[in-house]
Amino acid sequence: MFDTLVRKDRKAIRYLVVDDSVFARKNIIKMLEQFGGELAGEAGDGCTAITEYDRAKPDVVLMDITMPQMEGIEAAEKIIRNHPEARVIMVSSVGYQENIVAALQKGAKHFVQKPVKPEVLYEVIKYVMGEEAVSMQGAAAGDAQ
Amino acid sequence: MSFFSEDRVSELKDLFFESATELLQALNEQGLELERRPQDAEVVRSVRRTVHTLKGDSAACGYTALSDLAHELEDALTPELAKARGKRVAEVVLSAADIFQDMLRAYRKNAEPSSGAGLLDEIRALVSKTEAPELVVLTPAKKAIETFEWSEYEKILLQDAGRRGLKVLQVSLAVDPNCNTRAIAWQMVKNTFQDLGTVLLMLPEDAASMEKVDNLFAAIASSFDETHIAKKCRIPMVICDVFVERFGAADAAQVAAPVVEEVVTTKANASLPVEEVASESEPEIGAASISAAPESTLRVDAEKIDAVLNLVGELIIGKSMLTQSISEFDKKFGRDPLHAKFADVLGFQARVLADLQKSVMKVRMVPVEQLFRRFGRIVRDVAKACGREVRLELAGQTTDLDKSILDTLAEPMAHLVRNAISHGIESPDERVAAGKERFGTIKLNAYHQGNNVVIEVSDDGRGIDREKVVKKAVERGIIQAGEAKNLTEGEALNLIFHSGLSTAEEITSVAGRGVGMDVVKTVLDRLKGSIAIETEVGQGSTFYLKVPLTLAIIKALMFRSAQKLYAVPLTSVVEIIRATEAEIHKVDQHEVLRLRNEVLTLVRLNRLAAQAEKTSKIFVIVVAIGDRKFGLLVDKLVGEEELVIKALDHHLVSTELVSGASILGDGTVVLILDVQAVVSKLGRARTQDIKSAGAMA
Repeated sequence: MFDTLVRKDRKAIRYLVVDDSVFARKNIIKMLEQFGGELAGEAGDGCTAITEYDRAKPDVVLMDITMPQMEGIEAAEKIIRNHPEARVIMVSSVGYQENIVAALQKGAKHFVQKPVKPEVLYEVIKYVMGEEAVSMQGAAAGDAQ
Repeated sequence: MSFFSEDRVSELKDLFFESATELLQALNEQGLELERRPQDAEVVRSVRRTVHTLKGDSAACGYTALSDLAHELEDALTPELAKARGKRVAEVVLSAADIFQDMLRAYRKNAEPSSGAGLLDEIRALVSKTEAPELVVLTPAKKAIETFEWSEYEKILLQDAGRRGLKVLQVSLAVDPNCNTRAIAWQMVKNTFQDLGTVLLMLPEDAASMEKVDNLFAAIASSFDETHIAKKCRIPMVICDVFVERFGAADAAQVAAPVVEEVVTTKANASLPVEEVASESEPEIGAASISAAPESTLRVDAEKIDAVLNLVGELIIGKSMLTQSISEFDKKFGRDPLHAKFADVLGFQARVLADLQKSVMKVRMVPVEQLFRRFGRIVRDVAKACGREVRLELAGQTTDLDKSILDTLAEPMAHLVRNAISHGIESPDERVAAGKERFGTIKLNAYHQGNNVVIEVSDDGRGIDREKVVKKAVERGIIQAGEAKNLTEGEALNLIFHSGLSTAEEITSVAGRGVGMDVVKTVLDRLKGSIAIETEVGQGSTFYLKVPLTLAIIKALMFRSAQKLYAVPLTSVVEIIRATEAEIHKVDQHEVLRLRNEVLTLVRLNRLAAQAEKTSKIFVIVVAIGDRKFGLLVDKLVGEEELVIKALDHHLVSTELVSGASILGDGTVVLILDVQAVVSKLGRARTQDIKSAGAMA
């Protein structure tokens, strides 16, 4: 039901999904698969998110805000400081408006409200990828995994 | 609040009450709008904003009961709720407006307001029933505004950037109506702009002000082209429409022209060669226009203006005193060279004084829209209560009228409108049966007529039946059966303003009108205005309320009667004629005079003078009341004068025939007659005198 979203070089977009709730992670991963994305890594806290980013170098990071050990904002900030090209999308409920604004000021690219709606997530990823992504009819790039 | 003085606190509170009244007015209007269009998220949001402001303001003044209630309402109001519960939400908003009003009234009196618990329950009931289904109805996207209204300062800033060789683009963004995280939206837009280039301007300037607006305006210096910027700005879930335009050459020229002119004058004053001026130099441009930045409106207490107006009145009295003294001087030293000089100075002073008076009057003038706006709610409530369907049409809202007159008119107009709906306009079924539109129409109109303002209140209802009114008046002994047949149509209708008739319950169902009509009349009399009716059975009625532009100063004609000085407003004078006693005839116990083709009913102000000889010359001042003319018999005319009306205490003058008094230049007091009261009282008294005299004989 969604057009496949791939990188300019026709390879699947690689994602890092960060959330302390396993259920929330799975939920998002399922959506990303529908868009023809590839899971580059998962993390349940901020520290792991930073090391996972360094290891996997994903195209897009989906980052929850409230997490144990290291909050999403701090993790996002550190990732962006080390990798200015990082595309970090914050995922959170509206109640944390100030935190989200702070994350955006630190360089996060966008924000998706929880509960995440697939059509919203799709549009946001497309926007964040900008010129670097193209959408293709059907599941042509689905074989990229 | 200890760091504010008492004065400051009360000033703040005054300000709060004033703005709160406006907010409630807005809330009423928005509530009505919401009733019409419950699906429109924009309307819901406007209601929310108003409630939000009220919440903030009242909290700042320490009125917690009000602010808590407003908070509760604000939280409950969502487009989803309005969609799900429809008109019910509008009901709650409107009843909230009423309760807020009551609370404000209590606060104003420093009393403890009602808790508003009923409203709280209503709000909660409203919310609880909607929680189940989560509605994902997306509000239609809005278009971005395609005009940019930069302030002078901002324009200069942009021109300056353009001159430095930057490509300046102005961007207008419409915030997605479904975006409920405005601060985040603002930050995201800002990030986007920063990626694209340098942000020169961005309105609103900070994320906090974003809650109230649906449009963002910005100017950026960027090397990207318009389409790329538009694409980047179309942020999903945040911005639904984008308009990008180069800060153009046309704009620049337009703006630059007046600014350069300003520089010319500044520099010319400093007596610099003109050639140098022509070559524009930037710093001066900036300086000149910052000082010219307009801050054009300020709120002033009406009492302060009244004080100024009062002083102007005193000045006018002073002027006539001066004129008087100079004419005395002239009589004594007519050939003195100082004479001409005095005359010049006096002329100059009179001119300036006239201008001053005019300007102060203008300050007091407000558009009648202020008054008309309140009627939306009244019409809705009354129509609902009476089971009518009524539309309100407004016209001439921009007509200006003295603020105090406007405020006084509010009550009588509300009376008229209520009556028009409850008694004038038929029930929808009746209307359809009569071949009319289901919807009745109440129309309010205002326009100038000479020195007066006419306000029309009309309906397209069943009209007033004259014969029934007259019949009732005869039954009640207000008029004699014999008199009844001599009444003109206008006079017959005017009977509904008679207190004996209008307070009676039955007449309202019979004649369709009547509740408190005498009050309406009294108020208009007090305003030195008049009221007239035009009605067509089955077609509707129109009430014409005519009021003077201002109350404080009138042009009047002065005359003497029985050695006393009186004045009548010049606006009611039609003409002045001379006659002899021999020309006066008696018709139906009235004294009349033939004036060209008309027969003029006379009112003798001085009854003793009736014994004068038949040949003596008399003056008749012809006055018009409604569509009828009357003649006032007076002894001597004195002249025209601008009179500053001083209100009379009821203890000083216990007659309704005099509406005010004034002081002349020589200190004489002149009484200003209420023409309408004089004619109706003396005219009628006379007929009754004669009648009773006849009965005795």
